[in-house]
Amino acid sequence: MDFSNLTATQCVNQFASGEVTATALVQSCLHQIQQNDPSLNSFIRTSDSALPIAQALDIKRAAGKPLGPLAGLPIAIKDGICTAGLKTTAGSRMLEEFVPVDDATTVKRLVEADAIVIGKTNMDEFAMGSSTEHSHFGISKNPWNHQYVPGGSSGGSASCVAAGLTPASIGSDTGGSIRQPASFCGVTGLKPTYGRVSRFGLIAFASSLDQIGPMARSAEDCALITSVISGHDPKDSTSAKNDIPDFLATLNQPLKGLRIGICKQHFEEGLDSEINDSVKAAIQVLKNLGAVITEISMPHTPYAVAAYYVIAPCEASSNLARFDGVRYTHRTEGVKDLAEMYCQTRAEGFGNEVKKRIMLGTYALSSGYYDAYYLKASKVRRMIKQDYDTAFESVDLILGPTTPTPAFQIGEHSQNPLAMYLADIYTVSANLSGVPAISIPCGISNRGLPIGLQLQARSFDEATLLQTAHQFQMETDWHTRRPNQ
Amino acid sequence: MSDSIDRETVEQVARLACIDLPASRVDETAKQLAEILEYVGQLEQVSLPDDVEPFFGATESVNAIRKDELSPSVARPDILSNAPDSDGEFYQVPPVF
Repeated sequence: MDFSNLTATQCVNQFASGEVTATALVQSCLHQIQQNDPSLNSFIRTSDSALPIAQALDIKRAAGKPLGPLAGLPIAIKDGICTAGLKTTAGSRMLEEFVPVDDATTVKRLVEADAIVIGKTNMDEFAMGSSTEHSHFGISKNPWNHQYVPGGSSGGSASCVAAGLTPASIGSDTGGSIRQPASFCGVTGLKPTYGRVSRFGLIAFASSLDQIGPMARSAEDCALITSVISGHDPKDSTSAKNDIPDFLATLNQPLKGLRIGICKQHFEEGLDSEINDSVKAAIQVLKNLGAVITEISMPHTPYAVAAYYVIAPCEASSNLARFDGVRYTHRTEGVKDLAEMYCQTRAEGFGNEVKKRIMLGTYALSSGYYDAYYLKASKVRRMIKQDYDTAFESVDLILGPTTPTPAFQIGEHSQNPLAMYLADIYTVSANLSGVPAISIPCGISNRGLPIGLQLQARSFDEATLLQTAHQFQMETDWHTRRPNQ
Repeated sequence: MSDSIDRETVEQVARLACIDLPASRVDETAKQLAEILEYVGQLEQVSLPDDVEPFFGATESVNAIRKDELSPSVARPDILSNAPDSDGEFYQVPPVF
């Protein structure tokens, strides 16, 4: 049977009620992947354990044993997130043979909740990119049109959900890497508050910006998965001890009186007119639901990408120093000494985009440049955060487009990387300040490509984000649209 | 901030980053880095209050404290299983000198 249109919530409910078996759900996913992924390339590999785990789960249910909150849900994991015993490459030649010893805490929590890891999804190498064109394992395609990118860096995780290969996936977001591909592929993607979800087992790109989150077919599905993966973890000292609200319980609360700010800097030069129109139409929907809309100003927004392209490469240059040919699988052989081994292994194991960012970070942190680049960018980061603090004194949410344009064509930005970096112009601020943000589908362009709406909330207020997104999805059907395969 | 970056600087940065950069790629890398540095140069235009503190992390929490308790760590063979070369007890690397 074909279950490719089921939401995560439907999978879990139908499994719990006995309507479907976990085995059938997993078989359906594996069949869809086998049929459609050769052209999409959203997966790097599938898990051989998925089917035996599903069979064990069917036995568990038949025996009447208690089931976890995600029982029966097949879920794909971005390949930058460690899975014990299952190769985890971060899209890099450097880690082509790397088999983690431990599950990332997120994966551990999913497995404990009886979700079934179906496979590992393609990504820009070490999450550095906005198109999934920079993977050692080839380019992923946008299921709406294979000439277009799925976005990135969690492009495989977005593409597989949009194409119906799996009901949900896990991505990571350092500057927009969950929300931008969610927007390009017409799925719902949540970047939780920094600290809400443990980063243990996430292969680090920029530690003060990275956050793991769900990608799925509805806000309700994201709420379900976020409930499971949230919470303090002794293995990540930056994970927060804040209480985890019941994200599902508040989804159906009305929006009457909710104060939504429209950041005027998000509607200035560079915004595609179709996106502008779709977002304005979405604002009207929320107004009709009782939300109070006001215009706000966040004057440092235009500098966010510049601050990000100092801070993220600086952190990356430090984080990626560990890949030196000693501990992690790849090493260039036939060298004369240790220093040459380091330098040649890193030259061979990393792709060009990664090398460029490591060198950029190394330059910005080097003697004589630290104040001008890293310190200055970190002070601008403070100003960006203060813009949020000020905005949230008068509004509950900030609404705008997720991206300035719909998906671009494969190769379109290959000669102009800056144009690609600007695809993250509306998303990076949430990472710099730590606030949660969600992208939900709100339109389709004339070329037949999805358009995304971004909502941002106060730190640790994912509940309001998910509630608003859910209420919007109860009124509209953009999130139910599927590409023609 | 400097918007341009010369060959020598690129070679020095590659050395610091431990990345072997062939001479044929130095000019192209210089151009790519200069492009980004020119873009991030706009940070100079941001006027900052004198007392603004840098924001280095996306969280204001400091000093995460936990009890110092013993717990099992990863077994040596498991850790070494991902090493390109080991003698079963230690990592092995080419000669240092």
